Formats: sequence, C-alpha cells, structure tokens
Amino acid sequence: MTEGRPTTRARSDEVYVVGCGMHPFGRDDTVTGMAMAERAVREALADAGVGWEDIGYAAGGSDVSGKPDTLVGRLGLTGVPFVNVQNGCATGASTVLAVANALRAGEASLGLAVGFDKHERGAFNVSAARYGLGDWYAESGMMLTTQFFALKTQRYLHEHGVSERALAMVAARAFRNGAQHPMAWRRKPLTEQEILDSPEVSPPLTQYMFCSPGQGAAALVLALGNRAFDLCERPVRLASLALRTRRFGSFEVFSPWLPPGPHRSPSVDAAEAVFRRADLRPADVRVAQLQDTDSGSELIHLAETGLCDHGEQEELLAAGDTDATGRIPVNTDGGCLAGGEPVGASGLRQFHEVVRQLQGRAPGAQVPGAPRVGFTHVYGAPGISACAVLTV
Amino acid sequence: MTTRLVAEDLFEGVDPMRLVGARCSGCHTVVFPRQDSCPRCADGAMSAHVLPVRGLVWSWTLQAFPPKPPYRPPAGGFQPYHVGYVDLGEVLVEARLEVPRREMRIGLPVRLTTMPAYHDEDGTEVLTFAFRPDPSPEEDR
Repeated sequence: MTEGRPTTRARSDEVYVVGCGMHPFGRDDTVTGMAMAERAVREALADAGVGWEDIGYAAGGSDVSGKPDTLVGRLGLTGVPFVNVQNGCATGASTVLAVANALRAGEASLGLAVGFDKHERGAFNVSAARYGLGDWYAESGMMLTTQFFALKTQRYLHEHGVSERALAMVAARAFRNGAQHPMAWRRKPLTEQEILDSPEVSPPLTQYMFCSPGQGAAALVLALGNRAFDLCERPVRLASLALRTRRFGSFEVFSPWLPPGPHRSPSVDAAEAVFRRADLRPADVRVAQLQDTDSGSELIHLAETGLCDHGEQEELLAAGDTDATGRIPVNTDGGCLAGGEPVGASGLRQFHEVVRQLQGRAPGAQVPGAPRVGFTHVYGAPGISACAVLTV
Repeated sequence: MTTRLVAEDLFEGVDPMRLVGARCSGCHTVVFPRQDSCPRCADGAMSAHVLPVRGLVWSWTLQAFPPKPPYRPPAGGFQPYHVGYVDLGEVLVEARLEVPRREMRIGLPVRLTTMPAYHDEDGTEVLTFAFRPDPSPEEDR
C-alpha cells in the first residue's frame, strides 16, 4: 500500500467481511479457549455459508490460551496455511491484516481470522524482563497496567479540563449498551453515581471504570471482491487497516521515564493512516469501536483518533452523542468495559460488532439510520495501535 | 541492620544519593535508567548523566490493591501507596511518591529520597527511590 495517498483498487482486489461469529464473552469455567474459538469459527463459516474446506488462508491469535493453528485438529486437516499471531491488544487486527494481505497477494480468495483468550482472574501480571526492564521496576510496585491508565488519565483530565464525572459517563454508557447485548459479560446497567462511588482502584479511576481480563472468541470470514458479493447479501468492505508502533515521545505503559513532551500516541498515527487511505474523515464515522480498557482510555482515544477535539468529550457524552442513537455511537456492544478483555479476541469482537451494525443486524443496540461507515481502534502495550475503516 | 539498593545501577553517590540516567551526545535526550543506545537518534553516544533531585509532580495515582508477584510487599505487609511521574525538567521519572493524599496535586514541588521497599529473606532492608514534598523548592534548583 502507498503511504499518504488514498488507496484505489479494482473491486476484485478489495477485501470484504462476508461472515462473522462470536462466542459470548465473560467467564465460564466449563469451556476452554480452543473450544470457544472453534465455536466462533463454525458460526462465522455458517454465517458466510461456506465450509472450513473452502478456506484458503487462515490467521489466528491468542495471548495465553494455546497455539491457534492447532485448531485445524478440530476444524479439519485440510492443509490450509495457518499463521499464528501474538501481538498484544493488536492481535485481532493483525490477524485481519495477515489474511487481507494474503488474499490481495493472490494466496487465496477466501480467508479466516480468529482470536480467542481465557485469562486468570485479576489484573494482568507481567514479567519485567519480557519488557526489557530490570526486576526492580516490578518488585518496587510500579509495573501495573492499571497505574499507567490512571496516570495517563489523571494528567489528561488536568491538561484538558475534563471532570471525573465524564469517566463515569463513559462507563455508564458501556454498561447500558452491554445490558442490551446478548454476548456481553456485564449486563447490569449502573448509574454514574454508583460508578463514582465504587471502590477506588487507582484514582481518578474506580473499580467500575476498569474492564477485567476475561474470556471469549471471535472470528471473521474474509473474501476478495469477486467472491464476496456471491457469498453475502451485504458484504462489508475493509476500506483500510493500519497497525503502528510507538514513536519517540509517546506516553506508554511500563515507562520508567518519559521525555518532557509533547506526547504523541501511536493511536494518532494509526487513525490518521486509515482515514487517509480510505479517503474518509473521522466526521464520516457513524459507528465506532474504541479501546476502553478503562473509562479514561476511551475518553482519550475519542480525541486521539480524531472523532472529537481534546477536551470536547464531556460535552459529547453529556449530550448523548456517543449513545447508539447519537451522532458518533461508540462501543455499541459495551466494549471492553462490559465485555471484559480476552486479549486475543477483543479486536475481533470490535470487527464483529461494527460489521453487524453496518449490516443492520446488531445483536444489541442497533444504530438507526443504516450507518455506512464504521471504525475500529485498539491500543496496547508496549505502544501499539491498530485502526480500521469498514464501509458498506 | 544491613541495607542494599533495589538496583545498584540506578544510583550514584551515597550522601547525597542521586539517580543516574544517560544522556545522548547527539540529541541530548535524557533517559532513565541508563541504556547504551539512544531511543531517538542513531548518531549520539550515551554517557552516564546524574539527574536533578528536585522536580514537580507531573501526574500521580494510588496503588490501592496489592500487586501480584514479582512485586515484593514491605515487611509489615502491603499498604496502599502513591506513584507518579516527577518532572525533572530534562526528563520525567516514574517513582513512588511519599506524599500524603491531602497534599497530593499535579505541580507539587518534590525532592528525591529513599524508602524501604521490602526485606530480603536474610533480613537485609532493600531501599528504592521515591520523591517527597520539598519544603524549600527554590533552593539550589
């Protein structure tokens, strides 16, 4: 793909989503990560009306729940090329990228992307060495993702004059949407006051402003344009997808030091790239998915991706603009806050929701008015972001 | 009681103890802890660089729940603690903040100190760096 210019391709070179499937998110001790993945794949295949033997290229991702390519033992030993991806929060987007590029390169005309995970309870614990840091950093109690989200949010609220109530509004909307979604984990609506009054985890963030590591799986069937319209009544075009790592000066998790600033996130780079390539603007988006590991992250990502200006979020939230019925509906399935965060599955959950919204068959709250442009955004350690623009 | 530092290469000197990072001869970027290559430019050489002891709280939060290992709780067990970034001018350093909640704010003047982090199995007290409120922020900055 050419940097800096919109991509124009013949329809036969375009990649479309023609089927999607999802195992409910949450916590269920009776089912393994692999079993959830199998169910999501079978649902996606059935949705596309194809069989596993029709898949010519596959990519799968999981952070902790096994080697995705061993799924061939459950799905059928067809000899299909199957690439394993382990790319943190961008795992799902990376599987889509791998499959889309393989299709465009002529490897196959039909491909499958799957992501799944099943995490232990409680905050993620990570090894300092894995991030190139000394043991002292974790031993002295500074190597926690929750601290990073709180520190970034605290500074953001201070710099942009946003109140803590805005954080509660984000979570309240997530649980409202989750309550309507059959595959969400947290299905109980909570008031802003209940969210503000929940136990403090790391101020300004309280317990109900954080998502929890959980479990789940999601899968997509992707097809080249010449097949997509035969298979699917309303295929969703993958207009653009961009994956970025951090550049100098970004404020990232597990940073013992930061340069004085300004701090620019890889989310800004990834979002600018996808809108440029799709030849669309953030203002064209009618349904969006933003990484919401916590309320603060979603608030920041709204502006970093260009969906609003810095400091404008509180006004937007208060006016209901990010509700399913609003101007820029965000996380209509409840996001990570209501769904939990199975790392390998989370990115594909976003695609699942946006695809179903654009096809007018959302499992939960449907955005009215037949939205035509959707957007997905993930962000994670150690400073990666992936964004996609989807259109019908 | 014997004491040791949580990691020798973070510090320089004893009284006063200072934090030591590295500075790039090419673009003057200051990093902490020290590393051998510059994350910003390919041209410079990195050399040890002693950091200022005084700064301002840039952001802060509280660790309210006990972290999982490899975190090591202090001898008396886990107590919630503050962490934050301190703006030292040329670099922001993440650190434990020995600041009471009622005094905590972005912009608070603080200075370097040490605090016991945990004890080794043989009873050795392990010290880490922290920042505490600075009663005389204008002196020798």
